[in-house]
Amino acid sequence: MATAGKVIKCRAAVAWEPKAPLVMEEIEVAPPQEGEVRIKILYTSLCHTDLFHLLESTDNKGFPTILGHEAAGVVESVGPGVTEFKPGDKVIPNSGCQCRECKFCKSPRTNLCERSWVNDHIEYMSYPKTSFTCRGKPILQFTNTGTLAEYIVIRQIYVVKIDDDAPLDRVCLLGCGVTTGYGAAVNSAGVTPGSVCAVFGLGAVGLAAVMGCKNAGASRIFAVDINEKKFEKAKVFGATDFLNPKAYNKPISEVLIEMTNGGVDFSLECVGNTEVSRLALESCAKGWGLSVLVGYTNTDFSSKPIQLIYGKTWKGTLLGGFKIKDGVPKLVLDYMSGKIMLDEFITQRMKLEQVNDVVKLMKNGECIRCILDMSK
Amino acid sequence: MATAGKVIKCRAAVAWEPKAPLMMEEIEVAPPQEGEIRIKVIATGLCHTDLYHLVDGDKRGFPVVLGHESAGVVESVGPGVTDYKPGDKVIPLFLSQCGKCKFCKCPKTNLCESSWATKYHDIMAEPTSRFTCRGQTILQFMGTSTFSEYTVINQNAVAKIDENAPLDRVFLLGCGITTGYGAAVNTAGVTPGSVCAVFGLGAVGLAAVMGCKNAGASRIFAVDINEKKFEKAKVFGATDFLNPKAYNKPISEVLIEMTNGGGVDFSIECTGNTEVMRSALESCAKGWGVSVVVGWTNVQDFSAKPIQLIYGKTWKGSLFGGFKCKDSVPKLVRDYMSGKIMLDEFITHKMNLEQVNDAINLMKTGQGIRTIMTVSK
Repeated sequence: MATAGKVIKCRAAVAWEPKAPLVMEEIEVAPPQEGEVRIKILYTSLCHTDLFHLLESTDNKGFPTILGHEAAGVVESVGPGVTEFKPGDKVIPNSGCQCRECKFCKSPRTNLCERSWVNDHIEYMSYPKTSFTCRGKPILQFTNTGTLAEYIVIRQIYVVKIDDDAPLDRVCLLGCGVTTGYGAAVNSAGVTPGSVCAVFGLGAVGLAAVMGCKNAGASRIFAVDINEKKFEKAKVFGATDFLNPKAYNKPISEVLIEMTNGGVDFSLECVGNTEVSRLALESCAKGWGLSVLVGYTNTDFSSKPIQLIYGKTWKGTLLGGFKIKDGVPKLVLDYMSGKIMLDEFITQRMKLEQVNDVVKLMKNGECIRCILDMSK
Repeated sequence: MATAGKVIKCRAAVAWEPKAPLMMEEIEVAPPQEGEIRIKVIATGLCHTDLYHLVDGDKRGFPVVLGHESAGVVESVGPGVTDYKPGDKVIPLFLSQCGKCKFCKCPKTNLCESSWATKYHDIMAEPTSRFTCRGQTILQFMGTSTFSEYTVINQNAVAKIDENAPLDRVFLLGCGITTGYGAAVNTAGVTPGSVCAVFGLGAVGLAAVMGCKNAGASRIFAVDINEKKFEKAKVFGATDFLNPKAYNKPISEVLIEMTNGGGVDFSIECTGNTEVMRSALESCAKGWGVSVVVGWTNVQDFSAKPIQLIYGKTWKGSLFGGFKCKDSVPKLVRDYMSGKIMLDEFITHKMNLEQVNDAINLMKTGQGIRTIMTVSK
């Protein structure tokens, strides 16, 4: 491409400081260095983690930054030492990585990687080093991706090559939310055929968890949310029962225990609220119940020790437990063959310039996912 | 026996109220009803759970006869009991195994619907009792109540053991040793070559160390603020010994450093302290670390940051080591008899039932591991 090896000037939505609207800017994107890939982003969407960082950050450490970590695009150029990718490849950049060499990558039990940015720089939600500048100032790449930019540069261990025929305006969702929720059910919880499940929180992640429970053969799937408008979509993804905790005058865990004669086999917390985490654990069956923390928060979760002593297990999940370079291409193929749904998550389509409208929609709970088209 | 079918008058140590010394009393023990067994208790031990109930328990759980770690001989059986006969050596169990409920039929758990624990864990006893003293009903702690010369238990909660088993040692398998050992080999599922940490080095913790060793762990960290316990931990297989008070940073950070930045593969918390539960989880390896809560408390919540689980750690708990009690206790007895597990090394004091308050004081002050009390001659 004519841009290879050169700095690219392009559009990006920059978060200069917490709680402020994103600003459309012209930024400079440096050429890829050793082991790096520069990607032209074609479609992206926002995730609650982006919103959390923008709206809830208590300091300026992670700013200025370019948000976005759920996207799909095409390789524009590669740096020295990159042999796995070539210009024109369809790819999904990821906030998790897979180097294939560290003790985690070599273990079948985890999808962590020693080279991940999260190991050292979680307080910035970014590597300190960035390929973005704007008017001479470095701009961080949120979760090592920063996909609210027309072009990004990331290390090849974070890049997933996908099928040539994959529709990028849908499979971009596999960069985070859908993969996380779906994998939480099928990998981290290990939902079994015939089991009874409960999913707490019915945003994109929760709906993907419902879909995961359904695909794993669960016999009954409780969809739990205080916003009943979400129940209709939960049914589309496979939920069998719908509970609004505010409709009961006792804890929802007690309701679930009564409705299931003892508690659910698997519960998935997809809200990021520690009270909900507690209820999700307490909703599980004694003896074998397993509860997975999917939603992120920095507050302590807690419960009574007897919950675990009586045989329940508490786990968490990151990106649904998928080893991303192995797992995401398969999910793309699963979508293409009809095994998983993606279209049904898309509630709006907009242009990058409308990004602040998307933030508002998400804050108001009026959006599952909005696809942002990056083209001019 | 001459006592079959009749009320037995015998000695028992009664806890009339919380926080008060136990009183030696003459009590009446009713004959066993349908499905029940009356047992002459030969030897019993004192467990922290007894102490916990005495010091912090719900008032509704009194008056009570404590004790849930013992061995004895069948004195008589009630109607419908065919698996046991007078003279059988048995270990009363604080859990049960009916063999028919959804829990007994599930290989993943050792809970049982017929257990007192399913419904009455607040008061630690069934509301009905076979004990009376001067006309007042005395509860039977954890369905067992072994601080009495005779006790009555449902057959679902009785393990028949080898007729050559030495009752003055195998009584330990009624609670502490089975709990700690099983937490390692069953609940945590310790693997050969793994690195483990055990927090708290009482009988349960030492049994967990033994379980880690028997499961083939390559390195076992023994953690306690009382360094006098390290010597015994070594006997049971520990390789490293850490006193958290000797460091000016959290013990979890020390453990992560000592394991080359990785953390341990398995941690087992045997203190009943929620701060220690947190440390035990935080000491685990990212990606695959498993932490097991064994120590009991119903007063406080345990807690942690979600990132601990999101990074791949698992939090579990263990009750009676995850063993299906009637199936497993007899096997553990045979493991002791064949030298696969140690029991003698847990016994540090020998007394008789009249000295029960001395045994309580020893336990409160952290002296000794297990005191064996002779109950009946």
